[in-house]
Order: sequence, then structure tokens, then C-alpha cells
Amino acid sequence: MSDTVFEVKDVHYSYLGKFPALCGIDITIRSGEKIAVIGANGTGKSTLLQLLDGLIFPDHGHVTAFGERLLENSQFDAKTAHLFRKRVGLVFQNADIQLFCPSVREDIAFGPLQFGVAAQEVKRRTLEVAEVLDIQHLLDRVPHQLSIGEKRRVAIASVLAIDPDVYLFDEPTAGLDPLTVRHIIDFIVNANRRGKTIITATHDLHIIGEIADTVYVFGRNKSIVRGGSSDSVLNDRSLLESNNLIHMHRHHHEGREHVHQHLPLEPHD
Amino acid sequence: MINASHKRSDFIERSMLSALAFLKEATMSEEYANRKGFLQSLDPRFKTISLLAFLLTAVSLKSAVLIGILYGLCLILALLSSVPVRRFLVRTLLFIPLFSICIVLPTLFSLVTPGEPVWSFQVLGVSGILTRPGVDGAVLFVVRIATSVSLVVLLSLTTRYSELLKVLRVLGIPQIFVLTVSMCYRYLYLFATMVENIFTAVKSRVGVVSRQRQGQSIVTWNIANTWNRTTQMSEEVYMAMLSRGYTGEPRLLSEFNAMPKDWVWLLCALIICAGLFYSGHIL
Repeated sequence: MSDTVFEVKDVHYSYLGKFPALCGIDITIRSGEKIAVIGANGTGKSTLLQLLDGLIFPDHGHVTAFGERLLENSQFDAKTAHLFRKRVGLVFQNADIQLFCPSVREDIAFGPLQFGVAAQEVKRRTLEVAEVLDIQHLLDRVPHQLSIGEKRRVAIASVLAIDPDVYLFDEPTAGLDPLTVRHIIDFIVNANRRGKTIITATHDLHIIGEIADTVYVFGRNKSIVRGGSSDSVLNDRSLLESNNLIHMHRHHHEGREHVHQHLPLEPHD
Repeated sequence: MINASHKRSDFIERSMLSALAFLKEATMSEEYANRKGFLQSLDPRFKTISLLAFLLTAVSLKSAVLIGILYGLCLILALLSSVPVRRFLVRTLLFIPLFSICIVLPTLFSLVTPGEPVWSFQVLGVSGILTRPGVDGAVLFVVRIATSVSLVVLLSLTTRYSELLKVLRVLGIPQIFVLTVSMCYRYLYLFATMVENIFTAVKSRVGVVSRQRQGQSIVTWNIANTWNRTTQMSEEVYMAMLSRGYTGEPRLLSEFNAMPKDWVWLLCALIICAGLFYSGHIL
């Protein structure tokens, strides 16, 4: 099983020891896979991504990354931790958290600089990454002057500059305009074609078909209620409805009142 | 009665919102730093070092006339850098020398600074005498303050904060300190906006008129809420730093591009300082 990237075994996690966020999660993720974790708000998707990024650690169970068990920083060998961070990049849901430097250029350069990449190479990478995400014109801007879509693209650029093997995206398209959503989906799909492993937490079912081959549905009990191919999960209406991922929609259509479910895959008549 | 109460409770809100607006305008607008002008065209390192050299000269000189020459130079630089002189003068001359005059006021009189009397007066039976050493000392102090403040304001107006922070690194300030300051700068705007939004949200629910006690509790609640959010956010930002390889010893980007013009300007600035020092010595 050398191509296993993450192995999550019976993981339980709670905030402050009393608010459960994850209960008995088992997932195995292999290199080059496109995975989506879907679920309503507060079902533990972001928590799982933070666990996979080694930022928090399970109360019970364990997470293995690239064959090594993820341990608290104090128990983590510095070299192993360094290597792990180089191979796994997390794009946070709130871009304001991810962009903590006084300029976009410095934010993109921050990651490679921490990994000891030479200054000249960092400058080259910064320009390259900016070109890929079409943000060259933003390089000398201050993050707080950017729109949400621009911030999200800069946040992705800051992770892309590290060139990790695994990308973790937390709600990458939430609150964005359709064109920016398109750019981000294209970026994710292209990254996967280049062999990168993609794990996306989202409740935007419209993008699942493109960004994921396998989907895990998180339920209100903070555990996985179902995993499977994106088509099979997205076609399971009762599963999606019972987990608050689709709703009944009422509107006027061709002169009559119309009630139907909001589904990502099937256009209605 | 309602009006009086309203004015009282509104006072805190208006003061806070004005302070936030000033904070945003003063530190974040970068309006003049983005203009095309002489100081903006210089490498930030050379600009900072030259203006610091002027500042040290202004602090060291003991002649108000020579410091006045530096002040004149500062105004010329402001003109060359597309900084509106009227606004610049208001920002530097109106407030700061006023405070410094208050500080030096007692030293004008013979009671504190004895010497040759220049003017004497009597108010309500109490006589006062202004002395020449007192007046000279006060003029020197005020001119020095005005010049120093003008130089610093000119530097901050014509330089982006991100560049100023990078200059700090070049000047040997520890990287962790620079990172902390730059993060404060980065999030100041965010929290200022957040506090403004909270006030707007409160106003939309309770209306414009609120009792004084209610206003106080809203402000208190706002402070506590902001504190909670900043604490939570600082933890998340630290996670984001860890995620991108931060290990406690930050490495930051230093990217400058010195041109021959920068060297010429620095040389000129040092010659001006040396000239002023020499003049101060022989006067």
C-alpha cells in the first residue's frame, strides 16, 4: 500500500473536550485521488481537513500520512514535520486567516521561504504562480484591499508556491462569483491531472462532479454516513435530503407554480 | 431630554467610528505612496536612511535657523513627491507644535529660565517676564519638533507600509519583531472594519437613539466580542502559519532594487547633513 497518502482510523475529535466534532471516522486516501467531503454546516468537514494537515490531533484513533503516524508537534521529529508540511497544503476557508503578510507577494513567498528555498527561486516561483492564477496585477497590493475572489486566488497561490503533493481545500468556492468558481474548479482539475491528490470539503454539490471521483457524506452525528463514487452519491436523493444537502424549491416556471428538489446533476423540466 | 441622552450615548460611538476612520485613512490608504513623485521613486532603504539622517541632524543641531533650513527642504521634498503642501502643513504644524508650545510655555518665563528680559506684563496683579534664553529655547524646541514630525510624516506618507516593514529588516531589526508588527498592521484594518460593522448591526436593531446605559453596555459588549474574535483568529492564523512551514523562526522576503539615482540622493543627503553640522559648529 505504498500509494496510500492518508489513513484515518477510528478518529474521534472534540473541541474543549466536550463538543464532539468527529466520531469514528475511517477513510483511506490514495495518491492522485480526487476526494470530496460533503455535509451540512457543522458536520466536521473543516475539522477533518485540519486533522489531515496535522494542525490538530485526534482524541482517539489515529491519522497516518505517507506511512508515518501524525503526532503532536512536540513528538514530531522536526525533519519529518518539515517534510510533511512540504507535501501537504491546506487552503483555509477564510482567506483572511491565510493571508497574514503585508503584501500579496510576501504571502505567496512565505511558504517556500520557510522551507529554505533560495531567494531567487522564491521570486521566480512567485511570478510563475501569480501567472497561473492570473494575479500578477495584485502582487504589490495589500491583502485587505482585495475582493473575496481575489483573496481566495491569492490563498491558493500561497499554497501552490510550496508545490505540495496533496491539496486540502476548505470550501474553496463559498461566496464566490461564477467566473471565479470556474477558475478554481479548473485549477483543481488541472492540479489533479498533474498527479496531485485533491481533498475538498464543500457543500456546493454543483462542483462535486468535476472536482471529485469519490465522495464522503458527513452526517449530523459527525460521522460518515456514506462513501462512494460521486455519481452514486449525487443520485441518492433521499441521502442528500436527509443530510440537509438539498431542499425543496418552489418557483414559477412557464406559467405554473413548480416544486422540485435542488439537484446538482439533473436539470428539471 | 431624549436629545441630551442621545448626544451623550452617541458621543462614544461617534468617537470610536471617527477614530477607526482616521486609523484606516492614516495607515491604510497609501494614497500618496502610490502617487508618482520623487520620494516614491527612491528605493525605500535609501529614502529611509536619508530621512533618518535628516532627523538625526534636526535633533542634534542647536540653531533654529539651520533646523528651519531642513524644514524648508522637507517642504520642497513634499512638493516634489505630489504631497499636497496645505494638507501636509495642517497634519504637521497645526497639532504637534501646539502641544509642544504647551510643554515649553513655562520655560519662556524668568521664573524657570532666568536671563535678559524681552517683554514683561501684568495679569491680575501677577507680573510675568519673558526672557531671551527662554524664548530662544522654546523656538528651538518647537522648530525641532515640527521638523522631526514632518520628516517622519513625509516618510510614512510616501512609503507603503509593507516596504517600511521590509526596511526594518534591512536595518537589522529581528525578523520575529518585524513579522509581529506586519501582522498587527495586516489585521488592524480587518478588526477596524469588524468593529464598524458591529456598530452598524447594533444600530440597525436598536435604532439611532439609545440610552446612555444601553450605549455603555453595547460598547462593553463590543469590546468583549472583538477580544474573543481576535483570540480565536490569532489561533487560526498561527495554524495557517504552521501549515506553510513556520517553525518559530520566520524567514521573510527582502526584495529591493537600488538604482544609481538612489546612491546620488543618499550622497546629497549626507552632504546636506554634513554641511548643516559644519555650519552649526562655526556659527
